[in-house]
Amino acid sequence: MSQFLLVLVSGVASGAVYGLMGLGLVIIYRATDVVNFAMASLATLGLYVALSLHDRGVATLLGVLAAVVITVTAGLVVREAVIRPLGQGQLFSALVVTMGVSLIAESVAGSIWGNQPKSFPNLIDGSVRWSGAALPVQSLLTIAVAAVAMALVGYLFTRTTLGSAMRAAAESADTARVVGLSSQRLARISWALGLGLAALSACLYAPRSGLVPTALVAPLFRAFAGIFLGGLTSMYGAVVGGLTIGVLDNMAANYISASFRDTFVFSFTVLVLLIRPQGMFGTRTFQRV
Amino acid sequence: MFRTTRRYRRAAGSLAVLAAVALTANACAGQDSAGATGGSSSEIHIGAWLPLTGATATYGVAEKVGADAYFKMVNAQGGINGRKIKWTVKDNAADPQQTVQIARELVGQDKVVAIVNANGTSQAEAAFPFVLNQSKVPVLNEVGGAENWYEPPRPGLFGTQTLYEDQAAAVASWAVQDGAKKILVVHSDPAAFVNVAKQVEPVAKKVDPSVRVDRLAVKYQTTDYTPVISKVKADKPDAVIVILTSPEAAAYLKEAKLQGLSLPTYAYAPVAAESTIALAKDAAEGLKAVQLVKAPSDPDPAVKEFRTAMAKYEPGQDAGFLALWGWSNAKVFAEIAKTIKGPVTSQALTAAYQKASSVDPGVSPVMKFSAGDHLGTRSVQRVVVKKGVWTSVGDFYTPPARD
Repeated sequence: MSQFLLVLVSGVASGAVYGLMGLGLVIIYRATDVVNFAMASLATLGLYVALSLHDRGVATLLGVLAAVVITVTAGLVVREAVIRPLGQGQLFSALVVTMGVSLIAESVAGSIWGNQPKSFPNLIDGSVRWSGAALPVQSLLTIAVAAVAMALVGYLFTRTTLGSAMRAAAESADTARVVGLSSQRLARISWALGLGLAALSACLYAPRSGLVPTALVAPLFRAFAGIFLGGLTSMYGAVVGGLTIGVLDNMAANYISASFRDTFVFSFTVLVLLIRPQGMFGTRTFQRV
Repeated sequence: MFRTTRRYRRAAGSLAVLAAVALTANACAGQDSAGATGGSSSEIHIGAWLPLTGATATYGVAEKVGADAYFKMVNAQGGINGRKIKWTVKDNAADPQQTVQIARELVGQDKVVAIVNANGTSQAEAAFPFVLNQSKVPVLNEVGGAENWYEPPRPGLFGTQTLYEDQAAAVASWAVQDGAKKILVVHSDPAAFVNVAKQVEPVAKKVDPSVRVDRLAVKYQTTDYTPVISKVKADKPDAVIVILTSPEAAAYLKEAKLQGLSLPTYAYAPVAAESTIALAKDAAEGLKAVQLVKAPSDPDPAVKEFRTAMAKYEPGQDAGFLALWGWSNAKVFAEIAKTIKGPVTSQALTAAYQKASSVDPGVSPVMKFSAGDHLGTRSVQRVVVKKGVWTSVGDFYTPPARD
């Protein structure tokens, strides 16, 4: 039983990271029609800055804040410099551009900080033990931080004027403009929010994986699986999808095969999408031909 | 209409800017090194493809600085028989297709006489038809390799790296000699890892027929080892052999320590890296592994020479195992090239390697080449993590022969 709980909680902690990252992806996608492949690489730059500060004796928490600031700033520069000039609705061009930005960011990180794996500090050390099993407090903190962040995002979008404006702009940028909302300003806020969540999830993930320029490729891949499972346009879907991926991944590794964990998880995702192509929480859209 | 055209122009402009930046970044990453000047009478022009960017850049960058340090030291001492070494390195980002293009540039445009100290098994194999077969340019001391590269020997292909299969044989016999009766091999699931992991059982049984060996495959690049440690605990082995990448092994060791799993753990050379200790920290204490070279902290004079040269010619760079690989390969090449009387051509290098019956780089096992044996060694160095540092144990060791 203790092993089951251990594997479950560990899976929830991983899933919380995928969920946060997926939430960031969905917020940006809904606001600007951009599937931001560069998000993880930009967050990696933030991680390296946080680690550099930590190595100079700065508190880890301040390093996390710095990571968020750097990631958000870098993301906004990218948006203004290479995404915004593309114009609205250029889904595939934007996709290619973010892929290019991702490669450049990884190359920059490798050039500045090197490609040797580095250890990223835990936000909190220690472990909780019960009946022979041990769980790092970092994993419990990951779940708690992700839950608080998700709750705040939920509050922002459902209970505040800004959130309502962002939802309105996501539904129809033209209508939002007609009623006096600045779509560019709202897009910038969405990018900042999405990238901030990515940076936060990166800081929660890196202590387990270590830090290399490509460290966040694997969680980004799973975050994408999570948002497709949950529904590309649904913020709840991104969270639930990410959590599902994390838990299934660990359960499959423990009870089926440590080698076929991905196979099991993605088979499940494909099965769900066959039954509900819009994902678990996505809404079906129809386009007039 | 005009707005649409403007939008496409903007999109094209953005993509062009990105492409230019990416090309510039690649060009900067792939710049030449150890650049000596002069014609072929005053220099030996050799080349290499290395992953200086991408997922395996850790290996390429470190290998490059180690070899660079050696070639710079030799050039400062007058070169090889009066000829300076010019080693042209190009970044292949670990991509076989890019490697083929780079091979064409190195052989066709740069006119290198040999590919020396390059990196990557599949990358090299992609380039072999052009380099080895068509151009007759030798590929020397490639990091990587497979058994079928050397059995039967291929013209122009010579290696200095103990095969991964022999590394697995070495850790298997080490574990059995330490008294393990039940061994669990934890390995990544790609075929390259599976083939290595399969070598453990026959060698372990050769040393002690009563030994039981099981294997546990783990998804490549797994970071959460909680379920894996649960399975290891359930299996109750006497010893664990990990055939994983360095970050995976570190994740394994950290989770094992957290779950109170304290078993003798053995690993092959890719795990015996500074990155394993950096990532696993005190969880790596006591980890046993085999390496291609002596530990960089070793008091041996040959290793001391490496540390001194690294400090002088590559200041600020990590003088670790991977750099020592590059150094060792560069040294083997230089020692064999020294034996050539007259012009150092592709044919002369191939002939010199075939006659190199005993080359002692000091930092790695003595290399013994012949016309029928193009792989210089099967030996390894045993190393253990002691007080957070990889430490050599004994001298070079040759594992029992595999069937």
